[in-house]
This record gives sequence, structure tokens and C-alpha cells, in this order.
Amino acid sequence: MMSGLSSWIANMLPRRDAGISVPAMDGVLKPNSRLEDAPCILKVAGLDDVAPVASGLVLSAGSSLVAFPVPSGGGDAETISTFEGTIGFLAVLDDGRYAVGVTGQGVYLGLPGDFRLIEFAAELSACMTAATQAADGRLAICIGSRRNTASEWKRDLMEKGRSGCLCLLDLDTGSTDIVAEDLAFPYGVAALADGRLAVAESWRHRIVAIDTASGKRAVLLEDLPAYPSRLSPALDGGYWLTLFAPRRQLFEFVLREDGFRNEMLKTVDPEEWVGPSLSASTRYDHPLQQGAVRQMGILKPWAPSSSYGLVVRCDENMRPVESLHSRADGALHGMTGICETKDGVFAVARGAGKLVRFTGNSAGRAAIEVQS
Amino acid sequence: MAAKDELLTLRYRLIPDRLLGELLTKSWIDNVIPALALAVTVIIMTILIPGYLSAGNMADLGRQVSEMGLIALAMTVVILSGGIDLSVGSMFALCVLTALTCMNVAGLPIGVSLAATLAAGLLCGLLNGVLIGYLRLRAFITTLVTLVIFRALYDIIFPRLASAIVGSFPTSALWDLIGFGDFFGVPVSFLIFAVIAIVLHIGLSRLRPGWRLRAVGGARRSAYNAGINVKFTVCMAYVVSGLLTATAAFLFSARLGSTGADTGIGLEITVLTAVVLGGVSLGGGRGSVGNAIIGTVLVLILSNSLIRLSMPGSVNQLILGLVLVAAVLFDRKWIKNRGKILSKVYVSPTYLPLQERPDPGDDAYLAVNDKLGDVDLIGLGAVEGPEDVILDRDGNLYTGTRHGNIVRFFGPDFERHEVFARIGGHPLGLAFSAEGDLLTCVGGMGVYRVTPQGAVEKVTDETNRSLLSIIDDSRLRLPDDLDIAPDGRVFFSEATIRYDMSEWAVDALEGRGNGRLICYNPRTGTTRTVLRNLIFPNGITMCRDGQSLLFAETWACRISRYWFDGPNKGRVEIFMDNLPGYPDNINRGSNGTYWVALLGMRTKTFDLAMRKPAFRRRMAKRIASDEWMFPNINRGCVLQVSEVGHIIGSYWDKAGENHPSITSTCEHRGWLYLGGVSNNRIGRVRVDNADPDWTIHQDYWGA
Repeated sequence: MMSGLSSWIANMLPRRDAGISVPAMDGVLKPNSRLEDAPCILKVAGLDDVAPVASGLVLSAGSSLVAFPVPSGGGDAETISTFEGTIGFLAVLDDGRYAVGVTGQGVYLGLPGDFRLIEFAAELSACMTAATQAADGRLAICIGSRRNTASEWKRDLMEKGRSGCLCLLDLDTGSTDIVAEDLAFPYGVAALADGRLAVAESWRHRIVAIDTASGKRAVLLEDLPAYPSRLSPALDGGYWLTLFAPRRQLFEFVLREDGFRNEMLKTVDPEEWVGPSLSASTRYDHPLQQGAVRQMGILKPWAPSSSYGLVVRCDENMRPVESLHSRADGALHGMTGICETKDGVFAVARGAGKLVRFTGNSAGRAAIEVQS
Repeated sequence: MAAKDELLTLRYRLIPDRLLGELLTKSWIDNVIPALALAVTVIIMTILIPGYLSAGNMADLGRQVSEMGLIALAMTVVILSGGIDLSVGSMFALCVLTALTCMNVAGLPIGVSLAATLAAGLLCGLLNGVLIGYLRLRAFITTLVTLVIFRALYDIIFPRLASAIVGSFPTSALWDLIGFGDFFGVPVSFLIFAVIAIVLHIGLSRLRPGWRLRAVGGARRSAYNAGINVKFTVCMAYVVSGLLTATAAFLFSARLGSTGADTGIGLEITVLTAVVLGGVSLGGGRGSVGNAIIGTVLVLILSNSLIRLSMPGSVNQLILGLVLVAAVLFDRKWIKNRGKILSKVYVSPTYLPLQERPDPGDDAYLAVNDKLGDVDLIGLGAVEGPEDVILDRDGNLYTGTRHGNIVRFFGPDFERHEVFARIGGHPLGLAFSAEGDLLTCVGGMGVYRVTPQGAVEKVTDETNRSLLSIIDDSRLRLPDDLDIAPDGRVFFSEATIRYDMSEWAVDALEGRGNGRLICYNPRTGTTRTVLRNLIFPNGITMCRDGQSLLFAETWACRISRYWFDGPNKGRVEIFMDNLPGYPDNINRGSNGTYWVALLGMRTKTFDLAMRKPAFRRRMAKRIASDEWMFPNINRGCVLQVSEVGHIIGSYWDKAGENHPSITSTCEHRGWLYLGGVSNNRIGRVRVDNADPDWTIHQDYWGA
């Protein structure tokens, strides 16, 4: 009742539009087509996460682990393990073991053919999204939501979900320890140089640093123009960040319109909801925004599409220094996984089911480009 | 739930939200606030001062209004031209002196005196006009200087003639009549003023000089670019100002018969207050005779009442000054924010419940296929915005483009094309008449005819004005599609009367019955609206009985049949309801079928939004139009429909590459031609089971 009254009053008052404005992609985030132009080196449906191993790359796609020996070994991608649930995250530990989060079960530790399961409670295992090894050796795991499963991420956004948490798994004892609660869909995690963890909080469009001992949080990067997903270290001491879907004024607006949103949640199939998506829909009944109408056979690159491809490189203080885009008219959308090795940067577009390789602008390269 | 829906329906039926926005588009809305201020002042004064509304008081006010009103009109004309005339007070004094000298001292006849007075005003005005208009001096400083010069002249001449003026009185009955006479209680001078005001009003608002004056004041450079003689227009504004001031001076002289050293001093500031208070914008270009009169009456009532309330003169001046500042402030804010307010309140969505959308997957005829995935492309890149396509009896293809042309592709291969006719607006619906003329609905213009030789003629661009519409709906804003009855009558749809073609998508957000069906009768040459309150009426096609037609209502997702002749005349019946998408043009097909082009497909979220008008209103207010939610018009399809309205086939472009949105079709000898209003190509695809000899021309007109 009270909320109804206050929202009624809020609707009557002249509105500050701050709540529905979306930061412009400008400065470092100025759009380009570098991501779209990056060569695709692997195409597997459902490709999600990627991690570097000695023999090349290991990737997750649906419930399978795929080994891809690039570029050193050469050869084709090969499924090395299959699990009973969808793989939520994939991490490679310092000792070379794999840590695979399987939705509905828990974390598998070991090497292909020799995995040991550490079972998780249903609440924690339904939406595991990312993991990395913390400074103390424990595995830091992002639980995106405790109310919705990983595949229901869109529902979690539309319910304004903030039931996610960050937990630390002791690899020897199997005990878990929750260090941060009420996170709005943590989707990526990376260890910072000072021992803290950087966590990408998708629905709050920001990166926070979380102290594993005290649980204290500090915002490192905020007001992102898209929903951040995974984080991984860059070779120069910075970080690579993927962003899986764009923010749009309409989505922000729908998030404020409780009446409309609740009825949409109740009566409409999630595929047809207004909201971000991982790839451009081919369905005829998918909602559209006026600016995304195809004109003269062309979809404008700046159209307000529901999907977008964006990868950002940040420095060691998590300040963006470089970005790569696949714009509305592109196809490499829904970026969810990234890692950098000496062979280049490898990024996964889950929306397109593709793995691409590119090289980042290291400091030297940037200087050369400025000169030319 | 049902009760809630009914309440919503009632609320949107009974409360006409859209009227506020429509009122704000009217130019006379600028007068409403000064008029209200006037009414309030009169009421307050009536309460404060007993006997305020007495006949004597009103007659006295009438005489004052006529003199000051004329000067206010003079000021209005000058301000409209983008300038200001501070010299009116001194000019007034000089003219009074001229009139009294002619009448009292020289004893000239009244006609000669009037001419002399007007000549004095004209000369003063011409001086200002030449300096400001032709020599491009600043209006403010120039009239300030002429104020001093005219006053100095007056001060030099007046003492020499003062005693002569007072010493004799003219014996002219007409002079006395103008000064003191009345006609059924109405002072003669007021009648003179009324006549001048009406003439000036017509001149300013309805005639070319007035329009030019406003154009110059509103946007000098644009007026110049439009070919208006700016210098002459500005000069004339000051000349008219001089003449009006002289007329006022003549009336004043007749009333008082004498003048003093202080005549006209401070008049410019009083008049300026009146004019600005009445709503004439100091920025130029905005204002009217009505504004000037309202302001004059308001200022006179205020100052008279203050005198009667025994306020000292200085307090009186102070109050008028404060009123002027307040009026200027309000004017500035109003001009600045009027457009903003309008854009916030104009969009007025309404409650439009659609039935649950049918799932195309459940219908064998409707299931998504890729029949349009591999079409022959015609004119790729050569046409932009082919809303409608049609073929003539020789198999040549015609289409309109957004550049305002009708393009002809020569059959049978359509490799070659030429501009058939240049219309000037985007041609939408196309139809051939029995004589072979091509008739077209042109967005923003009207219905036009193109002869086989390519000559363009207007058929009609207006219809009858409806009685209770605030918007002037006599002009056609968005004629969309047309068809021709066997007797030659042209029936056409106007999609919306509230928006122009570029804003057609906003009408989708409103979902109201803003459109209409109109008939042009070539025998009488008249255009009449036959059906109103249609929800974006779009495609029209004649039924084969020659007595009825089908029309599509796009946002309502339905097609209705309307009988214009025969025993069922006037009846409207739903032909197809609850379509899976938004119907655009309807055309006849072979074997007694019809083709319905769906320009986009329904989405459940948009259907839900149509049931939530307040949600859509907030969306329109708060987010940029490019970001608005929209039905999916990146996917369209073509439906083949039987004579009785059953879907018997569908053609989809699964990927939406070639024909994302289809707005029209035309069947011709076994092929179906496709157009799209936001596309840059025409498609051609083979029709299953079509009659290979069927042409639309033969189906309509035989042979």
C-alpha cells in the first residue's frame, strides 16, 4: 500500500530523469568495429567461458568442456569432458587443476577424466557464474542469484534481483564461506594485486572490490553503459572485462514501471520480454525499439538493439583504457568469456557461439598508432 | 480484473486527455492568460469600487481605450516587425499640436485637418522607418533619439501657439461628434477605434502584409531568404505606427480641445506595458490586435482604479512598472517553455485492448516459412520508400519514393526505370482509374492525379471541417491509401489527423481512433468524411460487389468492410479480426482472393503496453523517441485471404533481409510484387496457384 502510494506520488511529481538515463559510450568507450572484425577461430553453440592452459585453451559450452589447442599445438577443438548440468564457470587453478562449476551440483575439481565433486546446496549451485583463485588459495565463486537459476538471468534482472553472493571455497576441506551478500548478479571475479577481489555486479553496472577478510566493499568502476560479465587478468597487470548486453533507456524505464513489469513477468514468455539479450533475436515476435527499425535495408549501427558486443581493457586501478565493440549491426554479441595469453586475447561471444582472437593495444602499440 | 478493465475503458472514453495538447497547439492560446488576468482585475475592481460597472464609467473608459488602444496597436505593429517604437509619445504630442493648430488656429475644415495630422504622423513614422528599415539603425536607439527630437520640436512650437489654441474653438459638428458624441451609449471615438482594430486584425492575421510582417519579426534572415522585402516591411511598420498614432492624436484633440506641456510624456512606457501585458512578445513575430486591446484595457483599468483608490501618482507609476517587469518575465518563460510543455502533453495514449494474439505456429496457413527469402529484387537502391506498388495494363511497374517522385520500371524485365512524375511529397497509395490516370495519396499533401503523359494535378487536399474538433481537420495531413469505386468516386483513408507523416509512429503509441475514411466525388467535386475515429486506417480496396470496400485499421489489427452503396449503405462490419500483425495495404488477387500486407508483427509486450496507456504516456515523456518500445516492424509478411476473410496462405521473409516490413503488394500475371515504406527495393515472387493471366487492371476495369 505504502509503496503504491509513494510510486503514485513519484509519478505525479516532475521526474528527474537520472534514473533512466544511460551513460553514453564515449571517450575510451567510443564505438569501433574491432571486435566485429576480429577473426573467429572457433564456432561452437553455447560457448560460454574460456581459460588458458598449458596446451592452449579450455572452453565451456553447455555441459561440455572443450579443449582447443591454439596456436601452439594446432588441431581441432575436442570435447574432453561432459557433465550432467550446464557449466556455470570454468577456472584453472595455480596447480593446473580445473575447477568447473556445474549448475545444480557443485564444483568439480581435477583434470579431465579425474574429477572430484564438491557438492553444493541447491541454493548455491543453481546460479554459479564465475570463479577465480583468491590470494589465500581458496576458490572465490560468484553466485549470481539465489532465487533464479543461471539460465533465468533475465528474470533475475527484471525482478531487480540482488540475492547474489560471493563465497570462498576451501579446496581441501570443501567448506564454503560467504563473504559478501546482496550482490546484484555478480558475474565476474578477478584477484586484485592487493589481495582483494574485483567483482562485476551486473545489475548495478559496476565493479566492486571486496575484501575477503572483512567483506568491506569499495566501488572501482561504475556507470558502465552495458551489463558487465566476466573479468580476467591482462598480461600488463590490468584486467579484461566483458560486457554481455547493453543498457537501454527503455530497459531502465521498464525496470521502474512495476505494474507493467510484473504483468510482463507473469503473462509473457521470457523470450519475448523487453530487456537485454545475448544475441539479436530472429523471432518475429521479439520486441523492438523504434530506433532499431531497419531503414533502407540497413540496421543502423547505433540503433538501440537489445544485444551488443563489448570488451574493455582496464588498467590495474580498473580504469578503462581500451574498448572493442561489435555494434547493433554486428553479430558478435553477448560477450561472456575472455583470457589473455602470450598468443593474444581470446574472447567468447556466447550470443554468437564464437571464439575470436585479437591483440590489445599495449602501451607501445598505442603510441605507434598515435604517431601514424 | 474485468471490472478494472472496464474502469480503464470508461476513464479513457470519458476524459479527453488529448484536448489539452491540442489546445496548446492553437495560436490563440497566447491570449488566454492575459484575458484571464483582465477578467480577474475587473472582478476585483468591481468588488473594491462601488458602481464600477456604471454606464458613465464604461463610456469614459471606452474613450480612453480608443485613444490609447490606437497607440498600443501602433506599438504592436512595430514590435511584431521585431523592433520597438519609443517615440510614440512625442509623435502623439506633435500630431495633437498639428490637429489643434489646423482646427483652432488656422480654422481649416475637418477633412484637411485630419489629412494634415495624418501627414504629420506619416512623416514622423517615415523618418523612423527609413532610419531603421533602410539605414539599418537599431530601433531602440533610433526611436529614443526621435523621441527627443519630436519632443524638442513640440517644446519649441507649442509655447508660440498655446494661447492661440486656447483662444478659439472650431465650429464643426463632426469635430464635436468625434469628441463627445455617442451612438446608443457607445462613444463615437470607440466605434472609430473598433473599425480600425478590425481592419488591422484582418490585415495582420489574414492578409499577406501581416504575414510578411510577422515573418520578418519572427525570423528576419529566414524572411529574407524566403524573398520578403525586409527593409520595406520594417519601414512600413513604422509608417503604420505613425499613422495610427496620428489617428489617436486626432481623437484626443477632438475630445479635449487643448493640449499641455506634458501631453504624451511617459506614454511610451504605459503603452509598452499594455502591449507586453496583453501578450505581444518583445522578441517579435508573436502578438495580435487582441493582445494589444486586452493589454490596453487592463492597464487603463489598473491605473484608473488606482487613481480612484486615491493612490499617489508615483505609486501608480511604480505599480505599472512592476507589472511590466512581471509581464516581460512571464513572456520570456512562456515563449521558452511553451514548446516543451506541448511536447510533454501532446502525446496522449488511450486504452486499446487487443485479443490474445494468435500463434502463427498453430495455423498451417500462417506458419512461418521462407517464401520471400529468395525474391527477385527490382530497383535495389534506385527507389527509397516504395510504400505502394502497382502495374499498369502494359505491365510497367509504378511506385512512389520518399524523394517525392513516382518511378516507373519498364516491363517485362524491370531493368530500366525513369522518373514518371515529380509530386513533391512522398506518394503512398496508388490506384489506376478507368481512364488510365494514376491516382495517389501523397503524405502531407492530399490526393493527386497523374495522367498517362505524366502531368500532375491535384484532386483534393481538404475535406469538411468537423464541428467539435479542436484541431483543424479540414486539411489532409496523412492520406494513406485509396481506391476507386466503379462510378469513379475515390475513397481514401487518412491515417491520423494528429500527426504528420514523419511522426506516424507516435500515433502507434496513442492507439486512438485518430484516422478517418474520406470520399471524393468527381461529379460534384466535393470531398466528405464518411467514417471517423478509425484506428490508423491504412489499406483500402474495393470489394467485387461494387458497393462496399475493405479497410484496414493498423493498430487495431483488424480489417472491416464498409458499404457505401446498395441496400446495406452505411454499414460497417468486421471482415477479419485479431490479425497476428499490423495490416497495411489490401489489394485484390486472382481467383477472388485478397492480399493483405502486414507491415509488422504483434509482440506480447506491445499488446500489454496497449492496455497500459499511462505507461505509454510516461514512456513518451521520459525517454527519447528512438528508444520507445515498438511492435516488431522488422518482420512482416503477406497474407492471402479468401473472399470471406479466411487466411489461405502466407508469405514470410524469415531472416528479414530483403523485406523486413511489407506495406503493399500487387499481383500481376502470376507474380506478386512487394513494397515497403522503409525499404530500398521492390520484391517479386511467384504466387502458388495463381491465374497466370490475371491483372489488376482487368479485374477493375475489364479489357
